[in-house]
Amino acid sequence: MKMPGSNEIERLYDAHAPALFAFLLNLTRAEADTRDLLQEIFVKLARDATLLAGVREERAFLIRLAHNAAIDLMRRRGTRERTKEKFAAEIISPFAPTSDPDEKVFRDELSAALGELPTEQRAVVHLKLWSGLTFEEIAAALDIPPNTAASRYRYGLDKLRDKLRPLYEEMKKAE
Amino acid sequence: MMNDETEQFEHRLSRQPLRQVPPEWRAEILVAADVNRRNVRAFTSAATIRSRVREIFWPAPAAWAGLAAVWIFILAVNFSLRDSSPRLAEKSAPPSPEVMVELRQQQRLFAELVGSREAREADRPRIFTPRPRGERTEIATV
Repeated sequence: MKMPGSNEIERLYDAHAPALFAFLLNLTRAEADTRDLLQEIFVKLARDATLLAGVREERAFLIRLAHNAAIDLMRRRGTRERTKEKFAAEIISPFAPTSDPDEKVFRDELSAALGELPTEQRAVVHLKLWSGLTFEEIAAALDIPPNTAASRYRYGLDKLRDKLRPLYEEMKKAE
Repeated sequence: MMNDETEQFEHRLSRQPLRQVPPEWRAEILVAADVNRRNVRAFTSAATIRSRVREIFWPAPAAWAGLAAVWIFILAVNFSLRDSSPRLAEKSAPPSPEVMVELRQQQRLFAELVGSREAREADRPRIFTPRPRGERTEIATV
């Protein structure tokens, strides 16, 4: 079994960990779980280099690993944990903190609205808006048809707009 | 118009900066990955040794099995011989008092027989007749 050297793992970490962290945090809404999953991914990569053999898009492949790991984790959790997740969605934000009060309110509202989206829609919305992937890339990463990716994105975005409309309109006027 | 609004909204959302990975995680995660990599390497080395051993033994398993059977047989014979020696010792346990008495009587009789002959020889007077030196012979005893 061929194993990547520590330099290769470091390169992979530096290139992809920030994006994977944000994606996982948005899905799990728990920092401890995000850390565990991130470590799980890099341990997996360190153990077996054949995972990346023949992979053309590293980012898409790693997002797929992260998504599968997050889904597994959420399945392992019971109803009690899901309640905790809802509570956590109110306090754990995937967005950077800011000193601007208006921005802070908007980010908090956005974080809460994202937390209310079903995981499948949240994953697609995140990858489209904050990872900059196309629907084809999202489809490949999540192993779903591109049309499904597009429709999940539209549903998700509509829900976000409904939730954020009053605040968004107000901010637009202020600008 | 609707599309413009949607694009503006999307743009607004995508401009929100995401949280950064805590910097201390990098070292922790890379160390964990490295430790796992080393463990897997050690495990694969052991697996390689096992496969080499299998390569050596596998081509003629019957021959190796036969050799093992011969060794088992030799060991079994060895152990069985070792087991029988105390049994022999048990069989040659001290004889009964009657046998001992009989043995002593036989010894005494033998000693008497031997002793009486010696005594007779000692008691018998030697006949000495002076003869010229050249005609001397051994004294015949009856």
